[in-house]
Amino acid sequence: MTRLIDPSLQKLSFIMAEMGDMVIESISLAIDSYLDGTNTKDKVLELSDAIRSKYFDVEDLTFDMLLKFQPVADDFRLIRSSTEISYAFSRFGRYAYDITLVRDLFGDISECKNASLVESSKKVKHMIKEAVLSFAELDVRKAVAIREDERFIDAIYKERLPKLIESNNTKCALAEALLLRYLERIGDHAVFMSDAINYIVTGKHRPSEDRIASHTKPKESSLDL
Amino acid sequence: MTTTQQRRLEYRALFKQNVGKRLAVDKAVRIIIFSCVIIAIIPLGSILVEVFKNGITAISYEFLTEVPGSIGSGEGGIGPAIQGTLIIIGLSSMIGVPIGVMSGIFLSEYGDNQLARTIRFFNDVFMEFPSIVLGIFAFLMIVLILGHFSVWAGAFALSLIMFPIVARTTEESLKMVPVTYREAGTALGLKKWVITFRIVISGAKSGMITGILLSVSRIGGETAPLIMTILGSSQFFSSMDVPMDALPLRIWRLSLLPYDSAQLQGWGAALVLIIIILGINLGVRYYFANKKGSIFGRLIKQGVSGKK
Amino acid sequence: MTALTTQSRPSLDNSSLSKEDYAGIEIEKKYKMIAENVTISYGDFVAVKNITMKFPEKSVTALIGPSGCGKTTFLRCLNRMHDMTKNAQVEGKVMLDDIDLYDKSVDPIYHRRKVGMVFQKPNPFPTMSIYDNVVAGLKLNGVKDKKILDEIVEDSLKMAYLWDEVHNDLKKSAIELSGGQQQRLCIARALAIQPEVLLMDEPASALDPIATQKIEETITELKKEYTIIIVTHNMQQAVRVSDFTGFMYLGDLIEFRETKKLFTDPKNELTAKYVQGHFG
Repeated sequence: MTRLIDPSLQKLSFIMAEMGDMVIESISLAIDSYLDGTNTKDKVLELSDAIRSKYFDVEDLTFDMLLKFQPVADDFRLIRSSTEISYAFSRFGRYAYDITLVRDLFGDISECKNASLVESSKKVKHMIKEAVLSFAELDVRKAVAIREDERFIDAIYKERLPKLIESNNTKCALAEALLLRYLERIGDHAVFMSDAINYIVTGKHRPSEDRIASHTKPKESSLDL
Repeated sequence: MTTTQQRRLEYRALFKQNVGKRLAVDKAVRIIIFSCVIIAIIPLGSILVEVFKNGITAISYEFLTEVPGSIGSGEGGIGPAIQGTLIIIGLSSMIGVPIGVMSGIFLSEYGDNQLARTIRFFNDVFMEFPSIVLGIFAFLMIVLILGHFSVWAGAFALSLIMFPIVARTTEESLKMVPVTYREAGTALGLKKWVITFRIVISGAKSGMITGILLSVSRIGGETAPLIMTILGSSQFFSSMDVPMDALPLRIWRLSLLPYDSAQLQGWGAALVLIIIILGINLGVRYYFANKKGSIFGRLIKQGVSGKK
Repeated sequence: MTALTTQSRPSLDNSSLSKEDYAGIEIEKKYKMIAENVTISYGDFVAVKNITMKFPEKSVTALIGPSGCGKTTFLRCLNRMHDMTKNAQVEGKVMLDDIDLYDKSVDPIYHRRKVGMVFQKPNPFPTMSIYDNVVAGLKLNGVKDKKILDEIVEDSLKMAYLWDEVHNDLKKSAIELSGGQQQRLCIARALAIQPEVLLMDEPASALDPIATQKIEETITELKKEYTIIIVTHNMQQAVRVSDFTGFMYLGDLIEFRETKKLFTDPKNELTAKYVQGHFG
């Protein structure tokens, strides 16, 4: 039986799917821009703006659904998480753009790449794909892999940053610092996203104390709601 | 939507278009109904008019207070008959109304069983009994056994007529009080008899009063039972063990006499009887209407339904 | 409506409810009423199937479920209203504090005073004034002291949020009030007998939205002092007003939890389907 809320839910799922695809594309393009040297700034800007505009659409849609339908249970959790996830998507788009700006500002920095940076980049690409897929299929098992990737990226970030201070090549050091920073932020948001997906499926908020390292405090209490 | 626009137009075409003819039929039916009502009312109206016309001249203070004069003289009055009617109505009500109301309460509130169903059945049969049969019964039961006609016998006979009517109308009025008020009373922790007497009855009051007044009007005019029980007399009331006069009896006697003066007195007595019955009706309603203010007045006017 | 297969429905005995549903409550509040293994049948038809429910004190518990699931039947057994119904049979225990209301030695009429009830359609006694309606449960039970009656009338009407609107004409007939006011009058009448528990059978379903809102505000205030059990078919009302919710279906208790948890993360699939409007 079609309920009143079902067409809106379908619309929401459609928009989120589009955003997911755009996120994967923009992150890939952004990462390739410094690994290969291609300047993808304009394309990624376009994608980032489109993602941002869809984020506002999702906000409008979810509040509209809350106003009209007062959803409960699964519907409610899906809608609540969708706001968080679409925000994460908009952040991905923004960071992707920031990364292409680094390439744009610094010129071709493909000689700056090193093993850690390449590894991190690969992990990020993998993470993003997993996160989007995890949302599409509401598969919480992928959360484990996502969390591992994020820890890896965090570790690289902490390891490399002190070394960059000692570096002689200012251009590469600065570029790498910025890039690692953006990659680390993307990682954080991917974990936020997987927590939101976990909430949809299990109904429990999961404060992942271990993921955020030292720059945010874990939540005060571990209340379920 | 499986029905197309086209189909809808076809459906619409099915409706009869000749509004004019239907309005005419409507008007004709209304006229027929109205005429039937008029035809029904005409005899009633004309009776009232006849009685009033013929009887009004007989009315006088002497007529209303004096004992009947010698036969054919045209003197005297119907004093004892008026007194007798009032007495017999009063006595019969004192017996018939409480018994009838209690039976009605039993049937309505406690009556979801075989015993009640049987009682209800016999009650309905009893209501339809010819009053002369009840009169004979009273005659056999009381007059023969005691050896003389008496007021007791008359009151007994008339109460037999009253009580099934009162029981029935009381039961119906009580049943019309929605069950939700009884539930509310139960939920408040009230005992059943308290709920019945303090809550349900006050809601059924107007219907019960209508029923009682109906039965009073009925017995006010009963003649046959009175023939067999109080017999009639020309004296004012003296004691309960002797015959007594009443208006129906007096009217009957007067109407059989060949004298014009007697006939005139008969008409007068008939008019008095009608006025008494009307008076009781209006008086009781007025009394209960004033007691509770305007709402109850509206309730009373609604008759048995008792709804706003 | 699609028919739901019963195989997806877990049979519910309280051992299957997780500790958190009752355990947390046992620490803070005690139970005011406990219904144990209650089965209610009308002849051959079993309306309520062996239900056990515990109602914490000074809180609102809502009973939800589709029409015909037995929630009103169950509610009415809590103050022995089924004694009035001819072929209703009630088995099981209903404990109010420490007393089993269905024990042979218990006088139902006396104990009904402790459990007040408000009905779906407002039913103030039509031939009585506002004042007389409120004190009906007292005056008709023999309480005569006018001073006490006056006090109780003011207290009850204030608790029902009706005092301000009617206090200058308490002799007015009860049926002259609006629907919402009549229902609040019925609440005052139920409160006047100083109950400990208040049962409400869809109290706002016959009222307009503003009146409904007032009733809900009243309930929210009353729960500070009384234990309230409310049957409602309006799920949003259950979310707004209740602390605990029980979901019933075809005579069984399917799930009973804190309201917020039941509505955001129901454990039982049937509950999830019902609250999201897939049937009912």
